Amino acid sequence: MASALTGRLGRQVANKFLPTLLTPKLRLRVKLEHGFRQSAALFVVGSEIKMPSLSPTMAEGTIVKWLKNEGDPIAAGDVLCDIQTDKAIVSFEIEEEGILAKILVGNDAKDVKVGTLIALMVAEGEDWKGVEIPAAGSAAPPSSPAEAKPAASQAAPAVEKKTAGGHSGGQGPAVHRLLEQFGLSSSDVPATGPKGNLLKGDILNLVNQKGLKPKAPQTVLPPAASKAAAPAAAAPSKTPAAKAKPQVAKGSKFIDVELTNMRKTIAKRLSQSKSTIPHSYGGIDCDISEVLKLRKALKSEGIATSVNDFVIKAVATALRQYPHMNCIWDGQQAVPVGDVDVSVAVATDTGLITPIVKKASEKGVQEISAVVRDLAARAKQGKLQLNEFQGGSFTISNLGMFGINYFSAIINPPQCSILAVGTGRLILGSDGKPVQSMNVTLSYDRRAIDEEQAAEFLSGLRDILKDPSRMLLGGVPPSMRARVGI
Amino acid sequence: MMSPTARLVVRRLNQRNQALAPFFTSTKSFATEASFETRPFKLHKLEEGPKTSVTVTRDEALKYYKQMLTIRRIETASGNLYKEKIIRGFCHLYSGQEACAVGMKAAMKPADAIISAYRIHGWTYLMGVPPLGVLAELTGRKSGCARGKGGSMHMYAPHFFGGNGIVGAQVPLGVGVAFASKYRGDDNVCFALYGDGAANQGQIFEVYNMAKLWNVPCIFVCENNGYGMGTSAERAAASTTYYTRGDYVPGIWVDGMDILAVREASRFAIEYCTSGKGPLVMETATYRYSGHSMSDPGTSYRTRDEIQEVRQNRDPIASFKEKIISTDLASADELKAIDAEVKKEVDEATRKAKSDSEIPMEELPADIYAAPLEEEVRNVAPWEPLRHKRIGSAVNLN
Repeated sequence: MASALTGRLGRQVANKFLPTLLTPKLRLRVKLEHGFRQSAALFVVGSEIKMPSLSPTMAEGTIVKWLKNEGDPIAAGDVLCDIQTDKAIVSFEIEEEGILAKILVGNDAKDVKVGTLIALMVAEGEDWKGVEIPAAGSAAPPSSPAEAKPAASQAAPAVEKKTAGGHSGGQGPAVHRLLEQFGLSSSDVPATGPKGNLLKGDILNLVNQKGLKPKAPQTVLPPAASKAAAPAAAAPSKTPAAKAKPQVAKGSKFIDVELTNMRKTIAKRLSQSKSTIPHSYGGIDCDISEVLKLRKALKSEGIATSVNDFVIKAVATALRQYPHMNCIWDGQQAVPVGDVDVSVAVATDTGLITPIVKKASEKGVQEISAVVRDLAARAKQGKLQLNEFQGGSFTISNLGMFGINYFSAIINPPQCSILAVGTGRLILGSDGKPVQSMNVTLSYDRRAIDEEQAAEFLSGLRDILKDPSRMLLGGVPPSMRARVGI
Repeated sequence: MMSPTARLVVRRLNQRNQALAPFFTSTKSFATEASFETRPFKLHKLEEGPKTSVTVTRDEALKYYKQMLTIRRIETASGNLYKEKIIRGFCHLYSGQEACAVGMKAAMKPADAIISAYRIHGWTYLMGVPPLGVLAELTGRKSGCARGKGGSMHMYAPHFFGGNGIVGAQVPLGVGVAFASKYRGDDNVCFALYGDGAANQGQIFEVYNMAKLWNVPCIFVCENNGYGMGTSAERAAASTTYYTRGDYVPGIWVDGMDILAVREASRFAIEYCTSGKGPLVMETATYRYSGHSMSDPGTSYRTRDEIQEVRQNRDPIASFKEKIISTDLASADELKAIDAEVKKEVDEATRKAKSDSEIPMEELPADIYAAPLEEEVRNVAPWEPLRHKRIGSAVNLN
């Protein structure tokens, strides 16, 4: 596995970097691939960084987070990564300088043994992309001094991984040990115990009958070979880029789905939001017949917009008209926000993300439509930048396309409100004629916003959606309100 | 940093060869000497201090550079070996303080003595033990300078009276070593080193008294790296002007991040002591990058930014390198070659220190005494004594 990996990488590296690597200044080692292959791969020999022992009793550690990326320059004293020891999370400082060339054990790698190769570094000026990933052997923990015990004496008997065949009950440790000792499987031995359990005596009987001899314990490879292979084999599956596939253990009925970092963040933030913010709710039915008419008219002229674009524009306009709604909670008080930055929930494969339509009140519907489409597309590719989804003063979550009538959403702190938009449906109007109606449900932070304020906002929003020409009105930015005496 | 004040003494090495220049492919000439201004020394009960204008030759500069770098590399290797659990137990690193040891060593006469506490890997190397002797001692292998039996705190060499595990206890011993010089009538001095933490020990004040009373040629060196074990000097000491704390013992403060300043102050101190005026306190203001020991991450009482700030602006090696290059004492490439040479040597020593064997059991009771009066050494069971042996050569016997 390890050598196959090295070989493949080696060829890629050689093809890609051959011209640049041939400069004499670079200290390179020419490594001939084994066998009769003629092509030679060129490598930079990196210095090895191993899992450090950061507490006197630490035997293995968990890499919580790499603070440096591959290719980053490292100065003496820099922190490479945070490592969870048996006691605490400790920053792993490095004394050498150079470039971090390769991370072999990624974020959240659990219980990595001290001495395991975790990364490679090269000197400044060397081509870090061409670093050689050591083959088995070199990553081994150091041999113990002179009087090391012979390998056989430390060897543990091979552990049989088979699940108990016909015997549903438990196995005592003595039974387990005997099975191992004689190299038997539990299904080989007739069980006489209660509930079909296998007894120690059953095995001893069989041993006596057949004159079995204890099997020699299987020799465990010297640490040099076995331990080196482990990190190399473990590396690819533990890199953060690799998508975590649910692992189904043989014979197990359960699938453990490990949370992605994004899901962990979502879980943390939503729990915090729902448990610390006093959510209050208000819903209203909006007549969107005019919006749909307008949208149809635009479409016939070749201008594509969605109902959601109108909702964003309507919400932005309403936020201008009711500026106390456009606020964030800073922990102590509600702080009004100058710009109307509307976050729009977008579903991606890894979870929900809320890119922001900035200054939405100043944008026309067509522009909003274009911005949303761009943000949504990039969100799905995971290419959003931090400032494109962090911040915002109000969030809209729309499940109308799934036919959801109404739902309520969890506030995205530090924002104070989120609007859950349902589907448009025909209802009977007060005049007996059918009306296209759409439910919106506002969740708001009761500390920052009163019921009355929320109700005013919702009815204002309804009025705008009923008569889209009201979007022309815009509203007065807070900065001007004082000057014109509103 | 110092380049604006640096004054170049223009005496070209290759002047003589100018006529031959066409015959050489490389005619790059270097300055043979350069002068620098040090930060002003602070004096306590001294009329006059060392000169702040110091001169260094090219050869000296390259030697000091290499020494400092070797110490840094040895310490880096030690730290790594410790994190690999190959070095166990105590381990105190000197990274950041290199200019102190190298500066003092540069001023010392061959027979001058030194005794320090337990941050001594660098000193052991400077006093003649090769990197392998230091690193193998740390890993407990037979190539160690105490054959792996001493470890981090117990390394010795001629005129180097070693580390001492007891905080401050080396200082009275150092006064004793200096007293021996006075008794014998030679003109050697002893440097007795301690840290800012140990400076609050009572025994240090006791020997200040004895040393001054008898005018013993002892130089008390307080290496003030700003932090004792677990807290800053300011939080631990009522007075942090350590050079004045000898009261009736005159004192001098020196920038411990400037190797040339330390050398100049040490020269001054040696001259002062050997002229019969008695002891002197020298405070070297320095900084340690790592924790007090390996069990101290070193960031619970100071910020990582502070450490990085010192590394970037006051690092003794980087600033000296800058001086060497800016005054044309050597080229950047030459220093790079030294870097590579030192790295190779220490890497090789590290490799050997890992693979070397431990001493056999019979050697356990060896070299306990220089001249054993009894050959039998008591064992765990008194009726199974071990036999004393002499294997290594004894040092510092008189």
